[in-house]
Amino acid sequence: MDFLFSLIDFALARQVQVLEGLAQHTGYVVTVLVSAGLFAILTGVVTRRSQLAKELALSIASVFLTIPSLALFVVFIPLVGLGFAPSFIALFLYSLLPILRNTITGLDGIDPGVLESAKGMGFSPVQVLLKVELPLAWPIILAGIRVSSMLVVGIAAIATLVAGGGLGDFIKSGLARLPLPNSLESIWLGTLLCLVLALVIDLILQALRVATISKGIR
Amino acid sequence: MSQIAPSLKNRTPLSERLDLIVSPIFAIALAIIGGVVWLYSDLDDTTISILAPEKLQRQLVETITLGLASSLLVIAIAVPLGILVTRKGFPRLKNFLVDTLGLAQALPAYGLIVIFFSFMGAGITTVILALATFSLLPVLRNTIVGLEQVDKSVIDAGRGMGYTTRQILMKIELPLSVEVIIAGIRTAIVINVGMSALAFLVGGGGLGETINSGLKLDRAPAILIGAVLVAILALLFDFMSALAQKYLKPKGL
Repeated sequence: MDFLFSLIDFALARQVQVLEGLAQHTGYVVTVLVSAGLFAILTGVVTRRSQLAKELALSIASVFLTIPSLALFVVFIPLVGLGFAPSFIALFLYSLLPILRNTITGLDGIDPGVLESAKGMGFSPVQVLLKVELPLAWPIILAGIRVSSMLVVGIAAIATLVAGGGLGDFIKSGLARLPLPNSLESIWLGTLLCLVLALVIDLILQALRVATISKGIR
Repeated sequence: MSQIAPSLKNRTPLSERLDLIVSPIFAIALAIIGGVVWLYSDLDDTTISILAPEKLQRQLVETITLGLASSLLVIAIAVPLGILVTRKGFPRLKNFLVDTLGLAQALPAYGLIVIFFSFMGAGITTVILALATFSLLPVLRNTIVGLEQVDKSVIDAGRGMGYTTRQILMKIELPLSVEVIIAGIRTAIVINVGMSALAFLVGGGGLGETINSGLKLDRAPAILIGAVLVAILALLFDFMSALAQKYLKPKGL
């Protein structure tokens, strides 16, 4: 209990750093989810008619997730330098698989009869995609985005090792000062704020789900 | 939003084959990149001393040890635990676990390793326990999901044939869910090998040392070669788990 109070004291005494860390961390989550989301959904849409293309895209995306985070964060440093860029690229590659997989699962799961009737109503292929396929697959795609968001929140803590900022800064500085006062508080603060951020993002995504899922399939 | 693990089913023969092709191709490509960097960049004395073969060999052994030890620990804990909570009498606990495990993915492994370090001090046990805690989730989740997806009528049929509860578990439920459970173990192994690159932070050794020295001393070739080695190692373990996944599942499926 004492530790909890000293943790809160520690956080309150450093409101600027806390807000900055949260802002950087959230920045990663938002930019990565938007860009990787668009890229993965687009890939899923483009490859949806070919079994081979689909499976190939999935295996490539899953290889990215296999590569250890530290390796993926540092491997781009010689090309793009330290800071935001290598962290962004690594997180982008990591978050592709859940979204791509769910996009493909969602598009695959649509009743062919529904597509036929849309075609029969005179919808063009683009209209079928935008008005029938994507809205029907959206709940599953969104579930993939949620998985990716959790993943990004956790892994983005490593960005601090390549000078990318974020909540990992608290963990790093706590580790560097370890036996000294406030070092434990710093480590726990960084770790717990990640969980809090994940919880908030989860709630936002649930609200988004309610707001964006087509009325007919709610 | 209960779709935590939608990937578990519908693995087609094509995806199984690609599974075994794509990661070796990536590993070979990475090996070529690493080799080219090693041969053609100007390696000064500092870089050469970071990349000394005996150092790399020790770190490689450390990384593999950490990855395997923590994976074995996880299997020994998570699979029985998953079996336990799917038995009758624990429906609340099971639902709670399935709901929270998704969120727990957001727990940073980095923070976890450092927290364990603050309690247990430096060393290899600290890292193994931290990694095991972190990778417990996929194995537990897949064990629960795998056992849950077994068709209830098959279990009833077993009971009708006079199987005891234990026989139903050993002869029906586990064989029918082994592929899903191994998929979880595969994830855990990959996580453990990958995260053991962070062991250097708390004095646990591993290939992260090479990457870290490269970062600290600003030697891009050392960073790159360290990263490539860790990545190849993870891909290799993933490949071997994919083989296990392919050959361990019951023939009837």
